[in-house]
Amino acid sequence: MTRRVVIDPVTRIEGHAKISIYLDEAGEVNDARFHVVEFRGFEKFCEGRPLGEMAGITARVCGICPVSHLLASAKAGDDIFAVTIPPAAEKLRRLMNLGQIVQSHALSFFHLSSPDLLLGYDSDPSRRNLFGLIAQHPDFARGGIRLRQFGQEVIELLGGRKIHPAWAVPGGVREPLSAANRDYLRSRLPEAFATVQSALAFFKQYAETHAEEVDHFGNFPTLFAGLVSKEGGLWEHYDGYLRIVDSEGRILVDQFDPRRYAEIIGEAVEPWSYLKSPYYKPLGYPDGAYRVGPLARLNICSGMGTPLADAELAEFRRRGNAQGIVTSSFMYHYARLIEILAALERIQMLLEDPDILSPRVRASGGINKLHGVGVSEAPRGTLFHDYEVDERGMIRRVNLIIATGQNNIAMNRTVKQIAQHWIHGATNGIPEGLLNRVEAGIRAFDPCLSCSTHAIGQMPMVVTLIDSQGRVIAEARRD
Amino acid sequence: MIKTRTVDYLIIGYGNTLRGDDGAGPRVAEAVAGWGMPNVRAISAAQLTPELAEALAGAEVVIFVDAQVGQAAGRPAASITFEPLAADDERPLEAHRSDPRQLLALTRQLYGRCPSAWLIAIPGVCFDFGEALSAVAQQGVDEALRRIRALLTGQQNLAHGATPLIP
Repeated sequence: MTRRVVIDPVTRIEGHAKISIYLDEAGEVNDARFHVVEFRGFEKFCEGRPLGEMAGITARVCGICPVSHLLASAKAGDDIFAVTIPPAAEKLRRLMNLGQIVQSHALSFFHLSSPDLLLGYDSDPSRRNLFGLIAQHPDFARGGIRLRQFGQEVIELLGGRKIHPAWAVPGGVREPLSAANRDYLRSRLPEAFATVQSALAFFKQYAETHAEEVDHFGNFPTLFAGLVSKEGGLWEHYDGYLRIVDSEGRILVDQFDPRRYAEIIGEAVEPWSYLKSPYYKPLGYPDGAYRVGPLARLNICSGMGTPLADAELAEFRRRGNAQGIVTSSFMYHYARLIEILAALERIQMLLEDPDILSPRVRASGGINKLHGVGVSEAPRGTLFHDYEVDERGMIRRVNLIIATGQNNIAMNRTVKQIAQHWIHGATNGIPEGLLNRVEAGIRAFDPCLSCSTHAIGQMPMVVTLIDSQGRVIAEARRD
Repeated sequence: MIKTRTVDYLIIGYGNTLRGDDGAGPRVAEAVAGWGMPNVRAISAAQLTPELAEALAGAEVVIFVDAQVGQAAGRPAASITFEPLAADDERPLEAHRSDPRQLLALTRQLYGRCPSAWLIAIPGVCFDFGEALSAVAQQGVDEALRRIRALLTGQQNLAHGATPLIP
């Protein structure tokens, strides 16, 4: 007779989810599932809306990564307009996306995950949060808050607001960058570099002394997917070709136009979650599972393209397998920090480019195609916006493939692996620290669940352990 | 252009501008920002986040402005309330609920000080999807702006016994 432990909701992630852990009579883990309990519905209620509204509507899918949707939507609009946007507009869009990466990754690492790393998975849960971090590591916490603030300032100075900036549009962007704002952002870079390099030094040392987490937090072979630059296959965040690599470093897909994603990416649905499960079609479901996001982007690229990040990438790959592929999901944290470093280097390069101040930032266009696809890299992975419109530019069909959804299969496997490694003989209850490790496995992916399922849900937070007679053996509640 | 600076007054209006009367706080902050008064900074925010701590640390006085569930239309509308706040670090900052007392506590822990703090609560009766304010909330916004302007121009002082700055 099996028993089920439920973690509901998962804490310190964006969105609402629960985890079910199924135990046998001996208290050993049989299976585990990651359920997403929200439903968003953007794909449906956007039908009938004008194309021009889509960037603003889809940006409101999420309050943490609205820029990602803004850019992917604008690119879908570029495709429908059949225009090439001005060079300065692309540079400005890239600058905003880099700011987005900095602020989102900083939130994930410093606010959501570092309490576990610095205070311990078994520490007092009432203090295992930003306040507890500030009390014991004030400089670290302050640096992380200011790093995220810098990323938000990039977004705000370009788009006029930190959240949901109505700035990227089909054809380009609404406003150029002023010299004064450019100079201010330059002045903030030295501190940002120092903060992330300090965090990298900390994490590398942490990984050396926490091999158990590295080895058992979602460490398994999968494919890895994402964008790389058209020239040289370098780390990309805004445009480029789609590349898919396996865990042995073999390239399965390369120089593939991401707008043709539907030819190679399918979407499966499971009855126990609102989160769909994309997979690589030639290998079928679920063998075609792939990961996206920081870990994947570092595994698929031929280089970072900037000196400091390239040096870190070389060291990162030495911690991988013989082919230099890093398969442990715990190392998403490490990859996230390297991406912050790369983003800062690229922000610096863009701010040094005189063309970044150009006033020519928008091309005109109209409905020249009835189908457009916009693809970019969100902080959490590849994001696809696929629109069909009528002759008047009204939306007829929308398909969104969200980064977090593409990690769904991997997140489920991660939960199971962690639960099976750390939970044994659970007949009377499960220590909170073990449950926290299961949650931490999810946090490593930095999932954005509000993005992925297109609705708003509210769930009470209850962890329940029920025996075969239906009696509640243990219950934990998080408010 | 964003500048890190010290100011006498910081006005933070927060709420979801897409949920009807919840947008009252940001409306107040945007209006105050439009006044362009020296030594006054106004921030419109969707929610209170740790990144605001730096701005708080640089202010002498902070006034938070937020909507609260008020009485239904047709009944006498509750007036805005204007109450002092104290830092409270008993509960952590949460992504889905903004509590200025926790932000004050975080500011004190990070920067060694926090400003005198006040909360203006504006009654709201409709929090459905939409950007318009109800008549009740609009009345509250107008009253809040009158009170804030009187304070900033010296026509009115904060209540006696205001929480002093913590060095």
